[in-house]
Amino acid sequence: MQSSSRHPAGSPHTKPRRGGDFGSYGRGLPALSIATVVVITVTLALVFFYAPLEAEQGFLQKIFYVHVPLAIIALCGFVLGGVFGAVHLRTRDSRWDMRSYVAIHMSLIFAVAALITGSIWAKGSWGHWWVWSEPTLVSFLIVFLLYATYQPLRFAIEDPERQARYASVFAITAGAFVPMNFIAVRLSTAYLHPRVLGSTSNLPPRMAFTFLMSLFGMALLFATLCKYELTAKHARAQLRALRRQADARAGAHSSAGWAGGAQRRRPRSAAPTQLPATRMSARAAGRPGS
Amino acid sequence: MAAAVLGELPALPLHTAGKYVAGAYIVVFAIVLIYVVIMAIRLVRIERQLGELLAREHGPEPEELDARSAESTLA
Repeated sequence: MQSSSRHPAGSPHTKPRRGGDFGSYGRGLPALSIATVVVITVTLALVFFYAPLEAEQGFLQKIFYVHVPLAIIALCGFVLGGVFGAVHLRTRDSRWDMRSYVAIHMSLIFAVAALITGSIWAKGSWGHWWVWSEPTLVSFLIVFLLYATYQPLRFAIEDPERQARYASVFAITAGAFVPMNFIAVRLSTAYLHPRVLGSTSNLPPRMAFTFLMSLFGMALLFATLCKYELTAKHARAQLRALRRQADARAGAHSSAGWAGGAQRRRPRSAAPTQLPATRMSARAAGRPGS
Repeated sequence: MAAAVLGELPALPLHTAGKYVAGAYIVVFAIVLIYVVIMAIRLVRIERQLGELLAREHGPEPEELDARSAESTLA
């Protein structure tokens, strides 16, 4: 999995891209944001005014169009985080580690939303906020709790390179667990939870279309929020690099003057950020991913 | 036009299930809104730090500052 010959040891590899040394994660973000807003607005209109009422649950079934896409996108995001982690281990490119981190971070948020909306649906439908005998619910909770350990595990490691490597290994292992868990639940016979994937053909066409639009809207929302997160982290990393350069210049002029600013000002977040490898290594920064 | 479209739309059966459906959609909206607020806070912080950096870059030169501090020490 290692390709140390390609990249210098001790410095995260960051390829220069067109349009500047560090590229831009914000490219296409306004268009993506607008597309997300439009698709979600149209989907909401479809949910409430186009999709027919379900015979058994009636209006309560409308939660289906937000809860199920949230859960599916969260699980896909976890798997995506594992894929990005694998690419990071293969290439040693810190950008993939950051993408893996952001995908898992965003999936956790989506999973929280899926758990809350599912709980509300359970209360309305079954009269209980949570049903422990329901394998789909419990398995989703297990996956969520597994990924809830990702960030504490990640930030318990001081060395940024080891941190990124271990986080990638975790992302791959947990990412493989997600489909296995999903299949295991599908194979179990004693379930009450309605089947969705693979049964959209059983839905009336208007319901199926609305559901697919909801899924598309959630996927767009996920992509947009990930892009926001990546852009913000990238901007912060660039700002830190600029500050380090300014500190270094000031330090060259006066060791007792502005150079102290480099020690005083530490990055507030321990989250991984893309580093301009040509200017500064992560080790030199002295903080994980700073 | 809008009134005609609204007139054609079916009425929503907001009886007992209405509060649960509203609750679920409000939760999702609130989570997205909280995320946007967090992003806004980050953006403001980045802007402030960039402003500080620019002020430093375009402020007095280090030699000038050293000279000033030396003068104040002598005084």
